[in-house]
Amino acid sequence: MSISNYKVEFEKMLNRDYFSKSLRPYRKEAFTQLEKTGFPTRKWEDWRFTNVSKISDGEFMISEISDAPQTTPNIDSYQMEGVDTVVIYNGHYQKDISSIPNGVNLLSGLEYMERKNGNFDRANNSPFDLLNTAFTDSGMCIVLEKNTLVKSPIRILFISNGDRSIMVNPRVNVDIGESSSLTFIEQHVGDATSFFQNESVFITLENNAQLNHVRIQSNSEFTQNIANLNVNQEYDSHYDFFQLVDGSKLGRSNICVQLDGENAQCNINSLTLSKNNQHIDNNIIVNHNSPQTHSTQFVKSILFDTSTGVFNGRTVVHENAQKITAHQTNKNLLLSKKANMNSNPQLEIYADDVKCSHGSTTGQVDEDALFYLRSRGINKQDAMELMVTGFANEVLDKIPQPEIKKAIYTEFTVKLNKLMS
Amino acid sequence: MIKIDNLNVSVENKEILKGINLEVKSGELHVIMGRNGTGKSTLANVLVGKDKYKVTNGTVSFNGENLLDMSPEDRACAGLFLSFQYPVAIPGVNNMYFLKAAVNAVRKSQGEEEIDAVDFLSMIREKLKMVALDESFIHRPVNEGFSGGEKKRNEILQMIALEPKLSILDETDSGLDIDALKIVAQGVNDFRSPERSFILITHYQRILNYMQPDFVHVLMNGKLVKSGTKELAKELEEKGYSWIEEEMTEVT
Repeated sequence: MSISNYKVEFEKMLNRDYFSKSLRPYRKEAFTQLEKTGFPTRKWEDWRFTNVSKISDGEFMISEISDAPQTTPNIDSYQMEGVDTVVIYNGHYQKDISSIPNGVNLLSGLEYMERKNGNFDRANNSPFDLLNTAFTDSGMCIVLEKNTLVKSPIRILFISNGDRSIMVNPRVNVDIGESSSLTFIEQHVGDATSFFQNESVFITLENNAQLNHVRIQSNSEFTQNIANLNVNQEYDSHYDFFQLVDGSKLGRSNICVQLDGENAQCNINSLTLSKNNQHIDNNIIVNHNSPQTHSTQFVKSILFDTSTGVFNGRTVVHENAQKITAHQTNKNLLLSKKANMNSNPQLEIYADDVKCSHGSTTGQVDEDALFYLRSRGINKQDAMELMVTGFANEVLDKIPQPEIKKAIYTEFTVKLNKLMS
Repeated sequence: MIKIDNLNVSVENKEILKGINLEVKSGELHVIMGRNGTGKSTLANVLVGKDKYKVTNGTVSFNGENLLDMSPEDRACAGLFLSFQYPVAIPGVNNMYFLKAAVNAVRKSQGEEEIDAVDFLSMIREKLKMVALDESFIHRPVNEGFSGGEKKRNEILQMIALEPKLSILDETDSGLDIDALKIVAQGVNDFRSPERSFILITHYQRILNYMQPDFVHVLMNGKLVKSGTKELAKELEEKGYSWIEEEMTEVT
């Protein structure tokens, strides 16, 4: 697909004084590469069920100063108890209403690059990672030095509002030093009517580091959302990911984890609630590159109306990665005859002493269980709600901190009940 | 309590029950015995309103109401309970949350106030003791990962929490070891009262060593062909069912 629509914006971007000149070579290189590969089409194996023509044919503009809020935005409706929040509004950092917990270094992209001696993290050459590199315009870098235990979670609140077709490319780096631990929440909200967000997140966990990563994508139903998540894990590190998606018209999460060090462990949990004609796609790759590494994927979707979904989960066990365990589960609940789900769990194993499993189920509410509840006096509507909530609870129960779990659970239940009534 | 009159039921166009007549009065315990595939579970399921069972003829009146016109939840609220032969697991649904929802649904329908979480917990703790279940049970998902015996005790727990007027126990004793069997029998015995009735469906006479039934009926080819007392159950255990078949042939 042609990316000519993006060319004009790219030139505009290069001429913006407030973007650092030192990034230009990386931007240009990425854009040139993107021009060669183009945007994915449905002929690409990993994109068979997801049509991104709204993005490739779209005319999205880079965010201007005028897209920043004229007055301090009100974030009362997104309050979350006991967390420090960094606010980014249409790509613009809102320093006045942001705070960070003790122990966390919050760096700009440029400061981060200096820290890395001028190196710029580059992921695989997937089109959307390239697009992000070319257009990187916001985002934050969270750095924890060695032996830092941060109790209070840090949240980045991405707000997308307005009627202009803007595109933002936030780039988030999370570096957790040896034996340090953090809970990081990214929450995407707002009522934008035409918006494209292409986010790239780079996570590095050094030896024995721990990260709880909570991702909530509940922005408006009219946005295009691509999330590119790259995780690198060293020895004994532990990564717990929890994702809740109920927003966006098109949502695609590309999650790629590298278990590089022995005894590294990752748990990928995701829950999707889709309605109308939303399309939510989760593409997950976990690479077991070392022995004694462990991974789980637990991905569930609840689909209403004519919404559609994709699960593509791949676990690759490389040749020397003996004694690993890897489990994949994908369960999908179709609450409408017109909803559609494509599920493709895959295991690719090149080692011979491993414990792996995968499974996938897609179907309607279990009639026998529904009858069981009704036979105890619970009416049909309540019984349905109880069962669908139960289906979701299996994932929601994996949310790490009780306060966060409660906040997400409450919001989710309200949304679900609204859809079911 | 319940009066079943000439009940005919078919499943997927196959006639299973061919004219059942049975009346259970308040406080009575009736036992229904019979071989596999004679329609015992069909009778239990049709009474609680499972939809794949089609009533082709007959009536069932439950405390003066037309039972067959009621939804499954209304039947439960009216005081009917089935202890399932194979209780289903419901992943993600907490047992306590489910029990509380059920108890409150029944209370609400009877014009009573809903029970709050604290009162409910102390109530359920008492009942857990009656079926010798650990408290951790009610914090697990409904029936998920439960052993056979645990599932059956969980059914009895629901029964004594919901306090139905008529309880149907569908092979609640099957597959239980002797200790679990005693617990189940004791749970039912403690629950018996002049206002409560029971229909116990079983293959085996064994559980009757711990219970006092008022009547024993034999279900064969979709009909209740013989009725008697506890002695009939013993006779069936010793001689099997073929002598009844022979008796029937002689009559015809």
